Amino acid sequence: MTPADLHFQVDIAHWGWSIAWFLWFVGIAGMGSVAYYFVRKGVLSFVILGSLAIGLLFVVSHLGRWWNLPLTLWTMITNGIFNWSSWMLLGILMLSLHLVLTLVLVVAHLPWLQRLGWLRWTAALSRANAFVAAFALLGFGCTVYSGFLLTQAAGIPLWNTSLIPILWVVSGSIAAIAVLEILYVFGLVDANVSSLGVRLGLGLDAVKLLAVLAFLHVALSFGSAGARIGATAMASGEYALLTWGGVVGVGILVPLAIGAYTVLVKKSKLLLLVSAVAALAGVYFLRAAVLLAGAWEPLVL
Amino acid sequence: MSKRLRKGQAPTRRMAHVWDASRCIACGACVLACTSSNNPDMMFREEKGWRSIASNIRRIDSVTPQGRPEVLLVQCQHCENAPCQTTCPFGATYTDDDGMIRLDPRMCAGCGYCVTSCPYNVRWFHPDSKLPKKCMGDTCLTFVDQGMPPACVQACPAGARDFGDLNDPNSTVSVTLRAKRSRRLLESAGTEPKYFVVEGS
Repeated sequence: MTPADLHFQVDIAHWGWSIAWFLWFVGIAGMGSVAYYFVRKGVLSFVILGSLAIGLLFVVSHLGRWWNLPLTLWTMITNGIFNWSSWMLLGILMLSLHLVLTLVLVVAHLPWLQRLGWLRWTAALSRANAFVAAFALLGFGCTVYSGFLLTQAAGIPLWNTSLIPILWVVSGSIAAIAVLEILYVFGLVDANVSSLGVRLGLGLDAVKLLAVLAFLHVALSFGSAGARIGATAMASGEYALLTWGGVVGVGILVPLAIGAYTVLVKKSKLLLLVSAVAALAGVYFLRAAVLLAGAWEPLVL
Repeated sequence: MSKRLRKGQAPTRRMAHVWDASRCIACGACVLACTSSNNPDMMFREEKGWRSIASNIRRIDSVTPQGRPEVLLVQCQHCENAPCQTTCPFGATYTDDDGMIRLDPRMCAGCGYCVTSCPYNVRWFHPDSKLPKKCMGDTCLTFVDQGMPPACVQACPAGARDFGDLNDPNSTVSVTLRAKRSRRLLESAGTEPKYFVVEGS
């Protein structure tokens, strides 16, 4: 039965496809930064910078009053009003700092910039384990933030679950591995990175499948009416194709099958590319489906 | 003029809305009075998400299991534990010393976090200013500052609406809430709303 008071947030708050892109890029940049700790390739820092920059462009362009941002920040700072209880404020600060650290890494990896004497400190800094660890930690924090951003939105019961930050971290890790696989296909990282990525990816895909099913099961079985409406839209309603076809089919089963084939039979660069693109698409579909399915608790059933 | 409360400060007044469902005749005068007073430019424009007139009062029509038509009017609950204030990244949403939740347009970037954070779905984006509008609008705030009731209370022909200070035991809202059975919406959300639905004597 359709409740008398049924409203999806995308129709009113407009957190839709563009916010999904933002969350997707933050996931790639965030967990890509963790991957950077282990890989330390300049090309990965370029991908992280690009992802962060495009992601931030998406979120700023989504602001209804983006043109008011300078006055907003000025008023906030001059009046000393900082709402530390807001995940969005914490996220803005973390993303800004992450952007600065990424720029340091990018500069360190550009030989033509390293010819400038006053920029050589970046190379020294980028070799320090503590710096790269802080960079990875901040990336992880940004991914976690992008999950809690939804969890804190009290109006949308489907999102009020601790599973979302976990889902975001797992799927962000899958996205980072997919980026490394694409870089391997184009000869930009070593084969051993790819081999490890395929094995890690297999495990993470299985965990992601479990987490997605748990997310739906918990909302459908134990959630409030608003959570059930959202989960139903994902599982059997308007967004079922996005969930089962996009998130599970393209995003999990295709990479799982190709990963298993790669480990058990043989490695093919073409298949790895297909798997990586499918995994990246699945990570995007997951964020889009969760966003679009968000509905308010009906005040009247 | 009401002031922004600083952290730890308690409001001097706790202004609350009372809507007496047993007296309401569902004429819609409050909804129209709200829009014509606070957002007159929206009088002939729709809030597309709600599929209704853009007003700070949202009307929900339904039918009881017995087949009787029913209406629920919802607006900003001026929660004492307001999620929209907790999440606003720029501090644009705040509580004033009347205990009302207000928006400082200078500090709003239009992110919509307050919209998704409100369990009552009572904020809507003005299509031109892109401000997340809600009760009270500027005109009603002026009325209240001048000691007058807000537009919806003034317009109600059935006397189903009231607005007053919960801290004052002699205010009409306090008297009504002592005398009649009332409920608050989504109590389990822990928002401590100050919008009371009176259901009977």
